[in-house]
Amino acid sequence: MTTLEQLTQMLHDKFDIEKSSLQPDLPLAEYGLDSLALAELLFTIEEEFDVKFPDRPENIDTLTALAVAIDQLRASQPV
Amino acid sequence: MKRRVAITGIGLVSPHGDMPEGFFDALLAGRSAITLWDEGDAPAAAVARAPFDQARWFTRLQLAGVDRVSQIAVAAAQMAREDAGIDVLDASTGVYVGTGMGGAHAVEESFRSHYGSGRVPPLSVPAFMPNAPAAHVAMREKLHGPVYTYSIACASSAVALAEAAKAIAYGDIDCALAGGSEALLVPGAIRAWHALHTLARVDGEPSRACRPFSADRTGLVLGEGAAFLLLEAYDDALARGARIYAEFAGSGVSCDATHLTKPDAVGQVKAMTAALRNSGLVPCDVGYCNAHGTATAIGDVVECAALERVWGDAIGNLAVSSTKSMHGHLLGAAGALEAVVTVLAIHRAAVPPNMHCDEQDPECRITLVREPGHAIPVLNAAISNSFAFGGTNTTLVFKRAI
Repeated sequence: MTTLEQLTQMLHDKFDIEKSSLQPDLPLAEYGLDSLALAELLFTIEEEFDVKFPDRPENIDTLTALAVAIDQLRASQPV
Repeated sequence: MKRRVAITGIGLVSPHGDMPEGFFDALLAGRSAITLWDEGDAPAAAVARAPFDQARWFTRLQLAGVDRVSQIAVAAAQMAREDAGIDVLDASTGVYVGTGMGGAHAVEESFRSHYGSGRVPPLSVPAFMPNAPAAHVAMREKLHGPVYTYSIACASSAVALAEAAKAIAYGDIDCALAGGSEALLVPGAIRAWHALHTLARVDGEPSRACRPFSADRTGLVLGEGAAFLLLEAYDDALARGARIYAEFAGSGVSCDATHLTKPDAVGQVKAMTAALRNSGLVPCDVGYCNAHGTATAIGDVVECAALERVWGDAIGNLAVSSTKSMHGHLLGAAGALEAVVTVLAIHRAAVPPNMHCDEQDPECRITLVREPGHAIPVLNAAISNSFAFGGTNTTLVFKRAI
């Protein structure tokens, strides 16, 4: 499963958002995620993907941007 | 010039469900909602859980960072508004909420995470801050008036109601959603209450664990739930043809200022006397008292002494019951839930019983309502007492709508 697919599944499991409605390049706010829900999502991502976002990540507002950030973190943070 | 205040809506998430009339019928019938808590790593305790289906009120996405205490507040407040027959409240409507502990589930989870994984959920603070329930009610109902939180232990929501009624009486606002919410049935909080030696002993019959004014009472039973009243200027309620459950006649507040947890009759007398004066009533006008009556050894005796002092020779004519015997002690939400009981007693002309008191403590010289389904031909006025840790005493007074 690609990172993007995993994220899509996570949004569905966590927030009940229909998978087919999720478009990779649409801002997450379009699905009703406000800054608090995004913080909650990032926390879950850190748990599930075993990564640590360096600081409050900026410019991550789409699934594609999230997937890229996760993949970069995984590459740079050896387990 | 003070305006009269009407109660036109009731909403609740209670141990006896979320239908006001069903809740009251259950109390009239003497049905206890108290059961055994034996989950998690806390000592066994008798508790009163409130059934609640969060999916009816929130999407999964909306639940991010919303503690149970706020969830049930939003639901109860909305039901109060709907019960009043109002589709959309004026944006100037006030929100007055009492809570003792705030988001206890989020507190529990954050400490558990801190001592466990070391990773604390990022929305812990907004979830457990005490004013979260009021804020969530304001956001859900789109209200931009005064949005206040009162945290005064067991008097929290009684004070919230008193303050909301005053704000309407003095013309600051025309309408308010006022009540309380408490949801602290989590192992850490139960253990803390247990450590204070205030909880009722668990024996063979958890449903009978709370026995106010009984010679064999052993302590209080923690409950959870939320209750809200829709208050509005009486003339406004009449003008729109609203059903008026009762008139919010007045309130009295005092502080013992003697001891953090030990109640004091002198302070309680002051609150009751002030409440009667504020309502323009004398003791013999009042037919029913929904007592604070937590079923602790000292609390019940002190409350009876205070009632005796205020009512004097008329004490025999005052019907008293502590419905905590059936719904437990909702702490910050207790005043609001018991205000609902008192208001419905007036509206229905019936008073709920004080259950599980087989042998009344001879030190408690009051006239307890003993039999279930007790009808009172005329109930013109009734009071509800809430006495808090910290010494704050609050008495609310309600009158029959005429």
